[in-house]
Amino acid sequence: MHEFLQFTVIGIAIGAVYAVAASGLVVTYSTTGVFNFAHGAVAMVSAFSFSEMTVTHGLPVWLALVVVIGVEAPILGVLVQLLMRRLFGASVERSLMVTLGLLLILLGAADEIWGGQSSRQPGQLYSGATSYSVLGVHLTVANLLVMIVAAGVAIFLGFFLKRTRTGVAMRAVVDDPDLLAMAGASPARIATMGWIIGVVLAAVAGILIAPLQGGNLSQTTLTLFVVNAYAAAVFGRLRNLPVTFVAALGVGLGETYIGNYLQQYEPGFTQNWLSVPSQTLPIVFLLIALLILPQDRLRAVGRAVTTRIPKVASLGQSLVGGAAVVALALLASVALGTDWQGIVRQGLIFGIVALSLVLLTGYAGQVSLCQVTFAGVGAFAMGKVTGGGSWLGVLAAVGLSAGVGMLVAWPTTRLRGLYLALFTLAVAAFADAWFFTNTNYLFDYNHSSSLLIKRLGLFGISFEGNRAEMILLAVAFALASILVLALRRGVFGRRLVGLSDSPAACATVGLNVKATKLAVFGISAGLAGLAGALYGTNQGFVGALDFQFLISLNVLLMLVIWGARSTSGALVAGLCSAVLLQKGGNLSGIILGVGVLVIGWLPNGIIGTGWPMLRELVRDRSPGEAPAPEAELVEDAGHAA
Amino acid sequence: MPLDPITHMALEVREVSVHFGGVRALDSVTFGVMGGTVTGLIGPNGAGKTTLFNVLSGLQTPDQGRVLLAGREITRKKPHQRAQLGLARTFQRLELFWSLSAGENVRVGAEAVVQWWHPSHIRQTLGRGTPVRPGGPGTPAHGSAGVAALLERVGLGGLDWEPVDGLPTGQARLVELARALAIGPQVLLLDEPGSGLDDSESAVLGDLLVELAGEGMAVLLVEHDMDLLMRVCSQIFVLDYGQLIAGGTPEEIRANPAVQAAYLGSAQ
Repeated sequence: MHEFLQFTVIGIAIGAVYAVAASGLVVTYSTTGVFNFAHGAVAMVSAFSFSEMTVTHGLPVWLALVVVIGVEAPILGVLVQLLMRRLFGASVERSLMVTLGLLLILLGAADEIWGGQSSRQPGQLYSGATSYSVLGVHLTVANLLVMIVAAGVAIFLGFFLKRTRTGVAMRAVVDDPDLLAMAGASPARIATMGWIIGVVLAAVAGILIAPLQGGNLSQTTLTLFVVNAYAAAVFGRLRNLPVTFVAALGVGLGETYIGNYLQQYEPGFTQNWLSVPSQTLPIVFLLIALLILPQDRLRAVGRAVTTRIPKVASLGQSLVGGAAVVALALLASVALGTDWQGIVRQGLIFGIVALSLVLLTGYAGQVSLCQVTFAGVGAFAMGKVTGGGSWLGVLAAVGLSAGVGMLVAWPTTRLRGLYLALFTLAVAAFADAWFFTNTNYLFDYNHSSSLLIKRLGLFGISFEGNRAEMILLAVAFALASILVLALRRGVFGRRLVGLSDSPAACATVGLNVKATKLAVFGISAGLAGLAGALYGTNQGFVGALDFQFLISLNVLLMLVIWGARSTSGALVAGLCSAVLLQKGGNLSGIILGVGVLVIGWLPNGIIGTGWPMLRELVRDRSPGEAPAPEAELVEDAGHAA
Repeated sequence: MPLDPITHMALEVREVSVHFGGVRALDSVTFGVMGGTVTGLIGPNGAGKTTLFNVLSGLQTPDQGRVLLAGREITRKKPHQRAQLGLARTFQRLELFWSLSAGENVRVGAEAVVQWWHPSHIRQTLGRGTPVRPGGPGTPAHGSAGVAALLERVGLGGLDWEPVDGLPTGQARLVELARALAIGPQVLLLDEPGSGLDDSESAVLGDLLVELAGEGMAVLLVEHDMDLLMRVCSQIFVLDYGQLIAGGTPEEIRANPAVQAAYLGSAQ
């Protein structure tokens, strides 16, 4: 009983921090319509700043608090609002990409300033006696403090949103900003307020969580701790603050009870299956929260802001493009040094992952943040079936990842937009924390934390050499892009675009929306699985760090920059992702994030927008040449372009 | 198989109610649409017409009541299943596939119901089938020729590859109509198809609806253009505050004092 009470106190304290973070998410979402994926990163940057001031520079705690919460966080809130302003009325997917870009910028900046994954000591918010004993239960000052702060935040938000003019306007703004403007309020000012409150609450949560995390601050832990807050916010449907608060406490208590119970009474299970329960359980809560969401009713959306899809290449054009990719790969294998050859090979593999996203996100409008996870499943199958080397392994990789893709898609066919993105994020995070790190049973033959995968051989042709491997990868990319374009030109492709533009219209003409979503997830995950298998053969082994969520994010955002509806965009995005990962260092996140913020507003990306403009320019400069009608908006004519 | 237009009730709505919180959007609405007729549905803004269309097409589950298509219960059927059973609709706010061309929009509809392995489809794809006027009840558009013929039929001939995001609203509405007709529906629900059309386009639309009814299709038409309604409808029902307050021939509706008070009166 005493133990139970002790865990209850700890659970409530942890839940209280989640409540503060989650309420920040809800306030921002309900006033701006934007779900801030960078919420955890904001918390991390604030906690690191606080630690920098108090621990490194010895500033008094009160002064550091004033600077971080009173100055730094509000300024960050205003800056974010300035970035988000032009997203007003944009699709969920677009605003999602921008906050994901912001997440990468903040992570990259923290890397640059504080260095890599290093942990730091948090600043102490208090001094003197660290705990009291009440009825035999230890109550630390840190625990008490977070409970008081969370209660204060709850009371403040309740009063502010219901009783003040600004608060009421904040609740109204997302429903009808025009009407609000006519009533004399400024939607932009209200949205700024929403961002400031959200960012300040993230900062408070970041500073509070640090002492509860065992006295260490690490960038990844702090950035992902917000997954707990996501779960609570989703329980509150991103709008209901009281439910969010209660859910946050529930998540904190659940995590503490289950985690400690398992560690104490099922140590074998915990060690073998849940390497870090505090990282795995919150993701399970988020998955549960998303699964019990009610069905998203099909509804007419009217005319969304859409852009014309660039003209799709014909079979002949895609064959020429494919041949050009293989020829260029051959050239690269001769002209480039070993280092850069490796990057090109990895780029071609990421290119296939990006192709899978062209199908899923570019054509069908379904956002996936777990595409590299599917690739990891493919690598797993490849490694487990005869240890690589065999074409059976490739078949197993494609088959297993397609199956897993459809399994992930099954519950998500009920969800759209933001919730779908959150679900795939949860799947990716779960795979990171549970599947890929499980070297005891799942991911490894010989408990050496990596899975060995031999290179392929076919009809006596060995791909042991790097040049042969390069050609193999180029052929794989070319075939995959020919397949994607063929699908797009046919019945299935029209259905995917229809699904993206109006699911309600699809259903009312007799199209089974659920079956179509399952099919596209399956094919897309299968392609990603193929990429994973090839990744393994190319590298010779795979480990836990090869398929992390952040790599999925990297490829997706790079594809958005170059053109999510274009196979040439996929090739360039794949190559650029590989270059950034290998050569970008700490700056890679910042470069990618800034790229998304600057170019992400072009719906067809650089290639999808730039290529037709270039054609137009060339046509204008050719005197006497009559414009060919089909030349309009042509792209994808060759991957080499 | 076309329904017998004289004896068959193509669509029946029985005691359908829908509540949104405390608002009663539809209150025990009961009526039917005969095959081979154009039936009008009118009412002031907010009367519940679009909610009723959503219930009929499966986008909104009613709190109570039943919907029958050719005598078959479809209340619990999903939207795509209703479409496959022969129920098509258009939307008040255009719900097109904006990234596709006019022809591709129609093709998505046709391909959703046409079975490519069906002998008639293969014959028509090979150009050897008996020419059918596509879009009529039970005659979905087959292949490129069918799509082109259907676009021609709604007055959009030659616009097969025209991107719909560049079309004027009137023509975009006709694309939506062609897409609905592409499945060869027995019952067609049209939500303000005349808005955005000029007089001549509206006249062509009226003729087309009469022609479709002549082929046995049941058309339920929500429209504010009273001239169009009076010209093509054999029967009109009136909704007000979610309740069906009148039903009858256009002349009866025009003379009905309750209707004048609720709708026509306020419009005059």
